[in-house]
Amino acid sequence: MGKIRLFNGLSFFKMYKKVALAIAFSPRMEALISETKRLVQLFGSDLILIHIGKKTDDLEVKLDEIITKTGLDKLKTKLIWKEGKPVKKIIEACKEENADLLVAGALKREGFLTYYMGSVGRKIIRKAPCSVLTLIEPNIGSTAFEKIVINGTQLEITRHVIEVGINFSKQLNAEQVHILNEIKMYGLQMGTASEDSEEEASQTRRQLVQNEMQYVEEILKNIDQGNLKLNIKVTGGRWSVELARFCEKIDADLLVVGDDYKLNFFDRIFPHDLEDLLSTLPCNLLIVKN
Amino acid sequence: METLDHKEVINLLLQLASILILARVFAEIARKFKQPAVIGEIFAGIILGPTILGNFFPGAHEYLFSSHEMTNIAFDGFVQISVVLLLFIAGLEVELHIVWSQGKKALYIAVASMILPIIAGFVVAYAFPEFLGVNINDRIVASTFFGLAISITGLAIVARILMDLNLFKTSSGLLIIAGAMIVDVLGWLIFSVILSLSESGSEGLGVWPTIGLTLLFTLVMLTVGKGLINKVLPWINKKMAWPGGLLSLSLAVCFLAASFTEFIGIHAIFGAFIIGVALGDSEYLTEKAKEILHQFINNIFAPIFFVSIGLKVNFITGFDPGIVGVVIIVGLVTKYYGAYFGGRLAGVSRKESIVAGFGMSTRGSMDIVLGLIALENGLVTEPLFIGLVILAIIASMSAGPLIGWARNLKI
Repeated sequence: MGKIRLFNGLSFFKMYKKVALAIAFSPRMEALISETKRLVQLFGSDLILIHIGKKTDDLEVKLDEIITKTGLDKLKTKLIWKEGKPVKKIIEACKEENADLLVAGALKREGFLTYYMGSVGRKIIRKAPCSVLTLIEPNIGSTAFEKIVINGTQLEITRHVIEVGINFSKQLNAEQVHILNEIKMYGLQMGTASEDSEEEASQTRRQLVQNEMQYVEEILKNIDQGNLKLNIKVTGGRWSVELARFCEKIDADLLVVGDDYKLNFFDRIFPHDLEDLLSTLPCNLLIVKN
Repeated sequence: METLDHKEVINLLLQLASILILARVFAEIARKFKQPAVIGEIFAGIILGPTILGNFFPGAHEYLFSSHEMTNIAFDGFVQISVVLLLFIAGLEVELHIVWSQGKKALYIAVASMILPIIAGFVVAYAFPEFLGVNINDRIVASTFFGLAISITGLAIVARILMDLNLFKTSSGLLIIAGAMIVDVLGWLIFSVILSLSESGSEGLGVWPTIGLTLLFTLVMLTVGKGLINKVLPWINKKMAWPGGLLSLSLAVCFLAASFTEFIGIHAIFGAFIIGVALGDSEYLTEKAKEILHQFINNIFAPIFFVSIGLKVNFITGFDPGIVGVVIIVGLVTKYYGAYFGGRLAGVSRKESIVAGFGMSTRGSMDIVLGLIALENGLVTEPLFIGLVILAIIASMSAGPLIGWARNLKI
């Protein structure tokens, strides 16, 4: 991550040096570009616009108009036109350009990336070499990321996810950040604890909650939280489901989750947690990769 | 419809009361010694059954368990329901997303920890059927059954041990839990196939149709069945009394699935297990609901089943030190090394593989159910079944201290 110096003398590590945006000439394209422009300005990053499809004069003119209209910095914006299979080509472009973040539009409960439809969008998210930000309702006036939820479930990638989530929240001036952690197999653990006395079972219950709180607190110790308002919440049940429910309940603007899992054939038959979340898409989603 | 008469009702109620009271007393004693309740419950059965009560107070034993035939039939119904529910809860414990999250490592450990005991058990039983007490007329099936019975891991027991050792959420803990879940699923799949082999000559469907139906049933339940559950459960949770609606309907679905598998020629318990897996994997079955189902079944129906074992077998007259010794040695050694080598093959560290070896060796639930089915089907004799029960007790009692020791190893 590069370092940038802000005018007031504060310095931040640049979260993302190169942000890629997969575009299609859909009605939401302008909104997506506006949203990404704001992020690029906040992060001080370069922007790469990727379009998969035939490059025609008409489309070039149209894109140029939108770029001018949205006020993108042309010097810091690169256009890439590629022909071929969308997933493959977008991923190829991200790799060639060393993008750190890929932004893509997605339709809530309607497959993915309006343009690429269903499983293609999902493949992009899963196969992308960099983190992916999916925006479900991009708007020209830019979304306010006020309520951000971070997945704090104990996974190998969680420490990194929380760190990225906090930095992201700080840069976007989020009002409230919630970190959700799940007690794994709560039912089995408490069912087993029913062999104990009432007091011991309550103690086990308290301990289970306490352990999850401590796990997140331990990670937060080493992260500068700035002025963020942080809330740690512990749930029981599958984290993907609990996260989706919580995001819908509080009407969250962004959910930050990690992905260090390779997609395979069985995920189609027996979807795992992230797959579940992708099919629900409760709000905008930032998928952090290692 | 024939009903129980006045005396038979009293007898049945006394049977259930004595079983639940003694099971509770011994479960509490087991708890004092930091042992799983199931060990206490098995001991309670030994005391209530022909081994102790029948031997020292034959009159009392005769009145309680042999005086009314109709009562015993009714009691057998209770035991059957208990086994079905036990398998249902075993299915609920299997969480496929935990299994997927552990991936290859858990699969290697689970498969290797099954293959070695199954092969070793088969070879020993096939080579010495008369010594060990497996049915010589159904030698292949009986020997495989024995191998399978010593290859099972007690998921609920190992979960408890890992919780006590504060290892449940660690990578080793989740690896063992996921491994035990895979063993459960594979174990019951293999079980239904073997059972069909045994029945192929008689009224069963034959081997291939049974294998096909078993796999089809499993796949349909875990895809279409789960989809249906996901559609219906939110409605039940919202519109019906909670947890009343969920409890009665989930048990009803369990009995339906069990009767269906029994009807198509696979054992009833397989249906209960698979519906448990499908239901447990549904995102709409809350953890609170699972907790209630656990408490309800583990404290009422599980004791009835585990005590009933002691009622069926005389642990003194049927005890054969040679058989018990062989079962324990083959069972413990092969299960441990199977899991250990599986772990090493999958790239798990030596220490973690040792912990997994001891963890996977835990028994005391499904293995006993398997043994009992083998006994009731005439595949194994009483002394061999006793060997399996003693193996379960020793494996469960030793797993905790051994895991505790292994995690402190400086390797």
